[in-house]
Amino acid sequence: MSVDNNKAMENRLARPDVRQKVTGAAKFAADMFPKNVVYAKFIRFPFGKGKVETADVEAARKVKGVISVDVNMQADAKYAGHSIGRVVAETRDAIDDAVEALGLKFRFTDPRSRAEDVYQGVPEASPEDLDKLKNIFDQTPVVVEATYTTQVQTHTSLEPHGSMVDHRGEELEAWTSTQAVMGCQEGFENASGLSASKITVHAEYVGGGFGSKFSIGAEGGLATEISKQQGRPCRVVLDRREEHSDGGNRPGSIQYMKIGADKSGKIIGGRVHLMSSVGFGRGRGGVKNPNYYDFGTIVKTEADESLNAGLPAAFRAPGYPQGAFAYESMIDELAAGLRMDPVEVRLKNETSDRRRKQLKMGAELIGWDGRVADGASPGRIKTGYGCGVASWGNGKGKCQADIDVYRNGDLEVRIGIQDIGTGASAVVIDVVAYHLGIDRNRIKGRLGNSNYPPGPGSGGSVTSRLSAPALMDAAESAMKAVRKIVAKEMKVADDEVEYSAGHFNKKGSTQKVAWKDACALLPTEKVTVSGEFNDEFVGNGVSDCAQFAQVEVDTETGIVHVRKVVAVHACGKPVNRLTAENQICGGVIQGISFALFEQRILDRRTGGHVNHDMLYYKIAGSKDVPEIIPVLDVEEGDNGVKSLGEPATIPTSAAIANAVANATGARVRHLPITPARVLAALDSAKGGVA
Amino acid sequence: MKAFDYAIAENTSGAIAAIGKKYRVKAAGIDLLDMLKERTEPGDRFVSIHRVAELGGIMTTADGLRIGALATLAEIGDSELVRKSFPALAEAASSAATPQVRARATAAGNVLQRPRCWYFRAKEYDCLKKGGATCFAVEGENQFHALFGGGPCHITHASNIAPALVAVNAEIRARGQKDTRVISADGFFTLPDKGVGRENSLSEDELVTEFVIRKLPTKSAYVEFKEKQSFDWPLAACTVALLDGKWRVVLSHVAPIPWRATKAEEVLGGTADIDEALAEKAADAALEGAKPMRDNGYRLKLVRAAVRRSLLEACGKAAV
Repeated sequence: MSVDNNKAMENRLARPDVRQKVTGAAKFAADMFPKNVVYAKFIRFPFGKGKVETADVEAARKVKGVISVDVNMQADAKYAGHSIGRVVAETRDAIDDAVEALGLKFRFTDPRSRAEDVYQGVPEASPEDLDKLKNIFDQTPVVVEATYTTQVQTHTSLEPHGSMVDHRGEELEAWTSTQAVMGCQEGFENASGLSASKITVHAEYVGGGFGSKFSIGAEGGLATEISKQQGRPCRVVLDRREEHSDGGNRPGSIQYMKIGADKSGKIIGGRVHLMSSVGFGRGRGGVKNPNYYDFGTIVKTEADESLNAGLPAAFRAPGYPQGAFAYESMIDELAAGLRMDPVEVRLKNETSDRRRKQLKMGAELIGWDGRVADGASPGRIKTGYGCGVASWGNGKGKCQADIDVYRNGDLEVRIGIQDIGTGASAVVIDVVAYHLGIDRNRIKGRLGNSNYPPGPGSGGSVTSRLSAPALMDAAESAMKAVRKIVAKEMKVADDEVEYSAGHFNKKGSTQKVAWKDACALLPTEKVTVSGEFNDEFVGNGVSDCAQFAQVEVDTETGIVHVRKVVAVHACGKPVNRLTAENQICGGVIQGISFALFEQRILDRRTGGHVNHDMLYYKIAGSKDVPEIIPVLDVEEGDNGVKSLGEPATIPTSAAIANAVANATGARVRHLPITPARVLAALDSAKGGVA
Repeated sequence: MKAFDYAIAENTSGAIAAIGKKYRVKAAGIDLLDMLKERTEPGDRFVSIHRVAELGGIMTTADGLRIGALATLAEIGDSELVRKSFPALAEAASSAATPQVRARATAAGNVLQRPRCWYFRAKEYDCLKKGGATCFAVEGENQFHALFGGGPCHITHASNIAPALVAVNAEIRARGQKDTRVISADGFFTLPDKGVGRENSLSEDELVTEFVIRKLPTKSAYVEFKEKQSFDWPLAACTVALLDGKWRVVLSHVAPIPWRATKAEEVLGGTADIDEALAEKAADAALEGAKPMRDNGYRLKLVRAAVRRSLLEACGKAAV
């Protein structure tokens, strides 16, 4: 049977584990408290740079319930949150008691705390490039020269990083909060020295990953070591403060642009310099400036500057939202200089017909017609509109899946992927249900276990894209396995039996056998089949999108309210419309949070991370979420399942920034767009820039 | 969390007796539990008053209102009585934190909560308020710190309902070991220069039992500005009340105490019906005496807007 790509496979059914998640029946790694568990935790340096001066280790070791305390007095701490020791104890409170008994005193030296202080400026271009640039700006009547900055966004998954490891000498079992259950099996292999066949990693439920949970981390390593040493299960789960300081982050950026356009609005080129402010080592920066638009001839340089701060990690579309904020802002500034409509300028420079179409769709849905000139919205509370685009690639990869077919017609699907909150658990059963034309309630999906057939880590928005073809293939094998029995019963060759919509029938005959009745013919209680990723159901092309925002800005207070976001996304064939739309809404909300609220604040003197909680590390809450209109843009010829999770968060902050500038007539070139910055922009210009 | 002795009081006398034995009071525990977890709360003996029914409730008195120490923010915000007689108080109670917190948090707990300064809340900063030698906000990150009345410590008072109590100069009743003290809200809150370790004049052996509002305002309003609309502390807020024919203007989240903008009050005098021009004038006057720090001066604009809008709103006029 070939895949009928024109047949709608989508549904709007809730994910199968929704009840468990809502009622608390779902057990996450952080919920695991086996009998006889032992707890371990890192001791962390609280300031940007320095050493431990005094630590009363003897006193700490005497605390009731404490098993061991180690402090590295020689450690050169390089950031707030840097591990300088560890405590092992019978309870979590005993750990905190031990840390208190240490009476730690620290010596700190001047930290590198602020990106603007370490920024080296724009390096001079080579004589050759200077000629190029001169040539460009000679022919561009409109030039935007601006520096845009983005903040550090720290990972704040609802479930913190952590593992509960039971090292039983010859074998190891771990419950880990991860977005790569297979990768973690390898991680525990390295940490324990046991072979993969002796290791089981569980990640049945995961409370968010966003790029920060691919490895077992230092916490998984510590749990393994202590479990082996103590011969007991060991639990190491980070607290919220550790999450903020050492759980990874989206690095900050300073992005210089000088870009010129001709009179028609066509961008001719210019100079770009991108700096990422990273952690205490170099690298892992990487602002992404993809060619969604044709920017012409660009002279580009890049640099990373280190801070005494926690290391960056992959973060939902790493490098992209910060890049989009800058170049989409730049395009709107060009449009203002050209006195052209920002959508028109985008259409002029777009490289993709699909996105051109999406820009027009989005403009219509947001009510772009109602947009007035920058700052011309009447009253103290002004309305503005803005937009941005993005795209995401859809490469090939590997994935396998097994299906057990039971004699009663039920199926169990096993696949070594994980559901980090995206609804992958729904996709697993819905793809099989669609392919076999049977009720999804007949199918039990099992994922999040390293003993299942290997699947990809959930990074690069691949989970649905790579698993759907493997699941299709396995479902096809399941059909064939049952068909074999049916054909035997009908006394014909296998290929004389057709299958469609849950029924087998002999070619040329009206005689039908329902799936359930066919399975009853199985000679054994169950039969197991396999499938793997193949080209038949792979998403083709890229996942394009365009997003539009409508905001209200209170010009007396500088407070921004996002009122509406329209998000038009190509995602191939939607498997489950509800989870797809949820992915888009989640990306948009995270984008709003990045645009307006989130930022790591380091104390400039001590390098301490002062907003290491969820009080002052501000994340969009329910009242900050506007009306969101997710639009799944499905065209004839959209085959297979395409990526969706990451593009959904790329253009949101840019669209909001542009909408704020449209409302107020004053541009904020720095994220997050706080009341302080909006007021400063309004002040410095009455139509200017801050 | 660190280990502590825990007693549960069945009535006010039991609570007072425990306090006499150096037990510290726990009501809903919203703030206290945070501080115990962060190990910034020095106490290790606590008495819960949460079951003491006589400390709860909201009722009318001959000429005003009585709000029990344990009345929750949700009860205050939802009370028809409060909504009708003192809308600014209802509004302030309803806008704090989240529905979950408001359902649990008490009036006295809200008034007595410790400051949210991030240096005070983090154990590693040996700040003035914790007995150290430095206010780290002075040279550090001070965008959320005090605009008025700061120094040597620069906290802002975190209570949402305290400004409303000051706006009507409510009586704060506190029972001590021997007798009951009646403290006027005007004199209850204390600035850091009068004792940096504390935020009010309550003694350690006293228990706040109720808030009594003797006179209700003829007009009132509360306007606050938050960065985030869900669970955020205001950047600035203003409570106004027309009491005995005179306006009282109380700024909050901008000073170590609920801050009377007396210059604005002088400008307004007894003008019952305020127009836009007078509101603007009062808003300007409210900024007098401000001492902004390096990064928090922008919030003066929010103070100004809060004063202007709350006055117009109290007079039933469109403010934006």
